[in-house]
Amino acid sequence: MAEQGRYLYAVCRGLTPEAVDGIAGLGGGRLSLVAEGDLVALVSPVDLDEYGEEGLRSNLERLDWLEEAARGHDAVVQAAAAIAPTAPTRLATIFLDDEGVRRRLREREDAITAALDRVEGHEEWSVKVLTRVPDAEPEPVPVASSGAEYLRRKRQEQEDRSAGDRDAHVAAEKVHEALVTVVAASRRLPPQDPRLAGHQGTMVHNVAYLVHRDRSDDFVTLVHEQSDAYPEVVVDARGPWPPYSFAMLDEA
Amino acid sequence: MSESALSRPAAGVAGYQDRPHPDSLADILERVLDKGIIIAGDIRVNLLDIELLTVKIRLLVVSVDKAEEMGIDWWKNDPMLTVRERGLAEENQALRERVEELEGSG
Repeated sequence: MAEQGRYLYAVCRGLTPEAVDGIAGLGGGRLSLVAEGDLVALVSPVDLDEYGEEGLRSNLERLDWLEEAARGHDAVVQAAAAIAPTAPTRLATIFLDDEGVRRRLREREDAITAALDRVEGHEEWSVKVLTRVPDAEPEPVPVASSGAEYLRRKRQEQEDRSAGDRDAHVAAEKVHEALVTVVAASRRLPPQDPRLAGHQGTMVHNVAYLVHRDRSDDFVTLVHEQSDAYPEVVVDARGPWPPYSFAMLDEA
Repeated sequence: MSESALSRPAAGVAGYQDRPHPDSLADILERVLDKGIIIAGDIRVNLLDIELLTVKIRLLVVSVDKAEEMGIDWWKNDPMLTVRERGLAEENQALRERVEELEGSG
């Protein structure tokens, strides 16, 4: 049998073993907790053939492997975040044994505690604003009568498109201004590539919002209102997520 | 109301497990690869590798079959793409006519 490592999903506070009972770790490994002071690390055994340095190097290049690992990692983090203050760790944080985990928790205790204090009681929402893609096919236009006419038309199309993007940016800022009134923090993320995200239109806004649980309903209501107020764009809100985008460590 | 794509009804904020739609891979990767707390494990993962990987994902260096299997089939119904194709056909036609015109007058 291959050597086993400890895959670290998240560091929590007040998580009990019963809470994660019945949730499978990556590769079907059994989840367990490693406690150090007030901090509790959520780990499961993984095969070092697959999750060792060599294995990871080739596995991370395989999209099917990566997707399975990412979804498995996220499923465990979500289960923990639903019941305890949780700071998710980046994908593929692996130790050789429980003592290695404890050592790292001791070293970073203050920073991790500060991160948990920030996210406790909160959840993350992802809001994207996209330009609206017309449903109808544009009217077929007659062939340009000259090269100049053709270029003029191209320029017009380009200008129409930039004007649409500009309007969408303005709408996105208005939506953002409204949403920040009920959130604890926000963080701008780069627009996603449509080839991976599968969306249509231009993504002009991709922001993570940290929302207190008590204000989640307000937040969702506000998203609906803003969506209705700016029909020229698509407002896409997803959540709640564990607070991935806000559980960052302060520089040590 | 239909304008926004909320992943679950607005009424009643339920737990994470109740989200009806599978999360997009883009949303998950952007979080598990780029966010969260970063602490050094015993297994050293070359972060550069991961960054290269995300670049590759952004460029979609995967096979068409693989992408379709994952539900990424944007090229089939991307209006921008079809507009672009239409534009090229139009440009081609315009150029052909222009060449004929010039040849005819010469």
